[in-house]
Amino acid sequence: MTEHVIVVDLGYGDAGKGGVVDWLCARSARSARSARSARSARPQDRKVTAVVRFNGGAQAAHHVAGPGGAVHAFAQFGSGTFTRGMRTFLSRFMLVDPLAMTAEADHLSKLKVPDPFGLVTVDRDALLTTPYHQAANRARETARRAARHGSCGMGIGETARYAADSPADAPRGGDCETRQILMRKLTLLRDRLAEETGFQRAGQPPPSVLADVYGAWARRVTLARDGHLAALLRQGPVVFEGAQGVLLDEWRGFHPYTTWSTTTFANALTLLAEAGARDGAIRLGVTRCYLTRHGPGPFVTEDTTLDLPEPHNGTGRWQGPFRTGHLDAVALRYAAQVAGGLDAVALTHLDVAWRHQGRLRLCREYTAGERRIQRLAPGPDRDLGHAERLTRMLLSARPVYDDAERIGAGDWPDAVAEIAGAPVTIRSHGPAAAHKTAAAHKTAAAHTTDARSRPPALAAPPR
Amino acid sequence: MGSGRWSTDVYEAAARLRGDASAFGYSDSGARRVHPALDPFGVTARESRDSAEHPASLAIAVLFDVTGSMGSVPRTLQAKLPQLLGLLLRKGYAQHPQILFGAIGDATVDRAPLQIGQFESDNRMDGDLERILLEGGGGGQKTESYELAMYFMARHTAIDCWKKRRKRGYLFIVGDEMAYPNVKPREVSAWIGDELAEPIPLTTLTAELTRSWDAYYILPAGAAYAGDGQVLGFWRGLLGQNVIELADLDAVCETIALTVGLGEDAIDLDAGLADLADVGSAAGPAVADALAGLGAARGPLAIGAGPARALEASPRTTDNDKPAGNIRL
Repeated sequence: MTEHVIVVDLGYGDAGKGGVVDWLCARSARSARSARSARSARPQDRKVTAVVRFNGGAQAAHHVAGPGGAVHAFAQFGSGTFTRGMRTFLSRFMLVDPLAMTAEADHLSKLKVPDPFGLVTVDRDALLTTPYHQAANRARETARRAARHGSCGMGIGETARYAADSPADAPRGGDCETRQILMRKLTLLRDRLAEETGFQRAGQPPPSVLADVYGAWARRVTLARDGHLAALLRQGPVVFEGAQGVLLDEWRGFHPYTTWSTTTFANALTLLAEAGARDGAIRLGVTRCYLTRHGPGPFVTEDTTLDLPEPHNGTGRWQGPFRTGHLDAVALRYAAQVAGGLDAVALTHLDVAWRHQGRLRLCREYTAGERRIQRLAPGPDRDLGHAERLTRMLLSARPVYDDAERIGAGDWPDAVAEIAGAPVTIRSHGPAAAHKTAAAHKTAAAHTTDARSRPPALAAPPR
Repeated sequence: MGSGRWSTDVYEAAARLRGDASAFGYSDSGARRVHPALDPFGVTARESRDSAEHPASLAIAVLFDVTGSMGSVPRTLQAKLPQLLGLLLRKGYAQHPQILFGAIGDATVDRAPLQIGQFESDNRMDGDLERILLEGGGGGQKTESYELAMYFMARHTAIDCWKKRRKRGYLFIVGDEMAYPNVKPREVSAWIGDELAEPIPLTTLTAELTRSWDAYYILPAGAAYAGDGQVLGFWRGLLGQNVIELADLDAVCETIALTVGLGEDAIDLDAGLADLADVGSAAGPAVADALAGLGAARGPLAIGAGPARALEASPRTTDNDKPAGNIRL
C-alpha cells in the first residue's frame, strides 16, 4: 500500500482540508505509538514525517482546533503542526510571505509549539510575496471596483504575475541568503510595480529594511537543498496539503473567478515524480456535504436562506462575502474529473447535516435557458476561452432539486461516493481530529448502513 | 481558504525575529524537552548523501554529553563547533564534509537522553546546534546513555561514504563518563521507537558501530571526570587508541579537524600543527598533546571490525567502587 496522501479541496476552498491533514498526521503518530507497544512494524503504522505545501501562499487559512481547543488558521505551516515534531516543507510551487510567517509563528509559539521556524524548510526557488506585491494588488483591485475577482488582498496574484513576466527578477527564498541580490530584486520590484499600478513608494518600507528582515527570517527557517523532498519521502509517509479548491484552479476553474495557482493534484504529483517516488500517493478529495464560496463568481446552488454556522469565515474587505448553498453534484463531478480522478474522498461537516436534517438538498442538474445540464464538459488543457464559456453558462443557470429525493444525514457518504467516483474513507463531524473517523478502503461500500443507523460521534474527548 | 489573517508589517516582523534570535534560543527559552528537529524517535535514518554539489560526501558526527557533570563544557561547544566546517574546508582536510551534531543525556533520568541533528554540508547544522537542549541532569553514577547514541549511529544512519566507497565516517563522542553495559530494549523503544527482543551488549554494539564509523571519544578538561583513569580505561577498552584527552577545550574544533585530516591522509600531524600556527591558532600544543596517540598513519580505507578488535587485549580495571552491573570486558 502506498503511504503518501495528497489532499485537495473539490470545491471553492473551505471544505476542511486543514482538519483532514491534522487528523492524518495525528492518527499516524498514534498508530506508530501503538504499533510500537504491539511490537508490529507494518508500513501503514509509520508516522507521517512532514506536510508538504504545493500551491497557493499565505492567504490559505486552514483552521484546526489544537490541543486545549485553541484554533489556529494554518497559512504557511502545515496543518499537521500540532502533531509533535511534524515538519513543513514549502515546495517551489508555494508563494512564501516571510512577514506573515513571523506572525503565524508567533501565534503557534503561544499555543506551545516549540520553535515553529525550526519546523519549516523552504525551497530556494519558492517565490516571495512582499509588501510591494500587496500594495500593487490592492491598487489594482481598488481600480477594478465592483468587478473584483475575489482576491484576498495578500498579493498572491501579483507575485505570480510578476514572476511569470520576469522570472529572473522575481525574489525567491534562496535570494535571502545574499543581501546584494535581494536588494537589487526588491528595489526593481518596488519601482516597477509602483510605476505600473500607481501606489506610493513613500507608503512602503524601503528595500533595505525588507532585505534585513528577510535575511533574519532565512536564518531561522531552513532553506532546502537539492533532494530535500526525496530525503523526506525516504524517512516516511508525507502528506501533501493543497490550498484553495479545484473549482478555483487557474485553468480549470470558472475563469476569471479563479486563483493564480494550480489547485489539482498536478503539482504534488510533479514533486513526487521529481523526487523519484515509486509508489505514487493516495489522491484524497475533500468536500463538505454542502457547498460554500468565499467571494464572487458562479455558485448555482447558493441559498441565502440556509443559515449554517460558519465560525471562521466572514466578509473580507478584499475577498467579499462568505456564501453558502447546497451540494452541487454537477460541479463536484466536474471537479473530480478535472482533478484527474480520485482514490478517496473525505466528507466533512456531517455534523451540520445531522443538525439540519432535511434542509440540505442535492442538486443533480441545472437549467440554463432551454437546456438541462447534468455534466460540465472539461475543455482542452489550458483553454481559458472554454472556461469562460462555462462561467457565462453557470451565471445564468438555475438549480434543479428533485423533491422526491430526500437525503438523510446518513445518506451523504453514499451519495457523494457515487458522484465523485471514489469511496468516502474519512468522515468528519466536527473541527477537531477527535471528530473524524476512518472507513477502510475495502469496506467503503458497506459503511453506509453503519452510518444510517448510528448518530454521529459528537464531542469525543479532546486529544 | 483565503484571508489576510497573518498579515503584519515589516517592523513588527523585525521585532519578532530579533526577540527570537538568542544564540542558545532553545534552551534559554525554557524548553524542557527535545526539539522536534532533533528528536530521534521514529527516525528511519539520518542521511549523509552524495549530490551533484558534493559527489564524495564524508559523514562526520559530533555528539556531546550535556549532563551536569560536563559543567560549562556544552555551552562552550555550542559556541565553538560552528567553526568546524570552515576549518575542515579551508585547509582541505576534507573536500565534502557533511556534519551532524547531537547531544547525549542519561536515559535513566533525563527528558532528552538523545538529540540528533541532520547531516549538513553548509552552516545549517548551526541551527541544530542552537536547538540542542542543555540538560544539566544525569545520574551520579559516572555513567550516561552513550550506548543509546551509539545504537542510533549504528542502526539509524545512512552514509554514502561507507555505502558507496567503503570509507568509514567519523564519529566523535565528547563526554566524561562511561556508557551503560547494555543497550536496553525499553529505552530504545521509548526514545527511538525500535523494538529489540533482547539487550545488546555494549561490546557487540561497538563492533557493529565501528564497521561503518571510526569512533573517537574525547574527554575534555573542565568536565567533572577529566583525566579520570577509570573513564579513560573504559573507553580505551572499547575504542583502543581512539580516545583523546583534551586539555584545552577551546581547541576542540582544531582537534576534531586534525583528526579527520590525519584519517583522510590529507596531512600528517606536524603539517597539521603548522597549519594551525598559520591560521594564528594558539591551540597547537593542546592539540599536539591530545593527538599524540593518533599520530601513527592510519589508512583512510579500512574494512573489518575496526578498533573494537582491541577489546580482547584491553586493560582491565578492577576498581572496587565500580557501580554494580558495569561492563566486564
